[in-house]
Amino acid sequence: MAESLMDVKRRIDSTKKTHQITSAMQMVSTAKLNQIQKHTGTYQVYASKVESIVSHLAKAHLMTSGAGVTNSNSNTISVSELLAQRPVKKSGLLVITSDRGLVGSYNSNVLRQTNDFMSEHGLNTDNAVVLAVGGTGADFYKKNGMNVAYEYRGVSDVPTFKEVREIVKTVTSMYHNEVFDELYVFYNHFINRLSSGFRAIKMLPISEETFAQSEKDNRKAKDTRVDVGPEYEMEPSEDAILSAVLPQYAESLVYGAILDAKTAEHASSSTAMKSASDNAGDLIDSLNLKYNRARQAAITTEITEITGGLVAQE
Amino acid sequence: MADNAKSITVSIVTPDGQVYENKTPMLVVRTINGELGILPNHIPVIASLAIDEVRIKQLETDQEDDEIAVNGGFVEFSDNVATIVADSAERQNDIDVARAENARKRAESRIQEAQQKHDDAELARAQVALRRAVNRLHVAHR
Repeated sequence: MAESLMDVKRRIDSTKKTHQITSAMQMVSTAKLNQIQKHTGTYQVYASKVESIVSHLAKAHLMTSGAGVTNSNSNTISVSELLAQRPVKKSGLLVITSDRGLVGSYNSNVLRQTNDFMSEHGLNTDNAVVLAVGGTGADFYKKNGMNVAYEYRGVSDVPTFKEVREIVKTVTSMYHNEVFDELYVFYNHFINRLSSGFRAIKMLPISEETFAQSEKDNRKAKDTRVDVGPEYEMEPSEDAILSAVLPQYAESLVYGAILDAKTAEHASSSTAMKSASDNAGDLIDSLNLKYNRARQAAITTEITEITGGLVAQE
Repeated sequence: MADNAKSITVSIVTPDGQVYENKTPMLVVRTINGELGILPNHIPVIASLAIDEVRIKQLETDQEDDEIAVNGGFVEFSDNVATIVADSAERQNDIDVARAENARKRAESRIQEAQQKHDDAELARAQVALRRAVNRLHVAHR
């Protein structure tokens, strides 16, 4: 505890600077979180409408057309392909992580639970490929020897639909070209500002479980759902509408997942920076106490020296 | 049920949110098989739309119709409320003519390239892009 006054002063100044930085980062993350939450609200209106129409039409389609696989000759993916199950030789794993650090346990949460999922389902380098959205996941899986078939870095803070379009196009064309036979998406789902939960969703082929999950999400937006009853007239035909809307639905699923993951990332970063700021504040307080003690000790020593000198002179 | 309703409510929803909402006596949309007009008290209908304009007549007869360029999607109508769900939609005065013109030129050159390479998928995509650009220009110049 024989630290000099200057050392403690220096430590206090540097901790104060760190505190400034972390609280600025916390404010920025909170602002981005508010922005993206507003954007998600408006997006949900669109998503619930698409989902309610598609689930009605697709369920009917699934029941009537059976599970036959029809690999079309064209280069574009067809409706039956998006819905049909085919024997799984390779699984695609779309893992959504962040690009930057300082987000607390966000990335480790996703990666750890994805690894758990992989070992539960016996997925490894031989029967699975990774598609990484976010630098952390890409680097992690490359280092661990997994085959990273696609990586996308630089998702913006409030992602637009156009950005996601490119990702979706690549993913669906990979599915069409049989790079993988089923697609799982792993990401952190935003619950509230303090917590997020891990989610693993099977996105392709589109099936009952995909609808069940998105139905649960859209249940909150009840008044925007469409209750498609038998009195609806379908123009030009149910199948034509389905083939136009199903790709829209697939896009909206991926976009929804990326928005959700980004929201959770901002919340995580905000919480992490807040606790860093709080810790810095506590440290500054205890260092101040130390400084004052050291200052008083120095003064006492000076006085003792002077009085001692005086006494010695007499 | 308002049996003598004079207008329907039209709202256009895109992934970026709701871009338009208004009351109108008649809504005209273009589907793949032709035009479809929706008047009040029409039976519930779901129709998939072509990449074309949507015409929304105004309640006051002296006002011009509202025209909106829509990039595919579908329209859902029931209980005198029509919702157009599309990837993107632009109102007449929001359309940037210069950008649409550039997009048109780009799409045409893409079509030429795709035809030379006999790439069907690229050709289809370029044709859709051209259709979108032409649609925007058409609505902007009306």
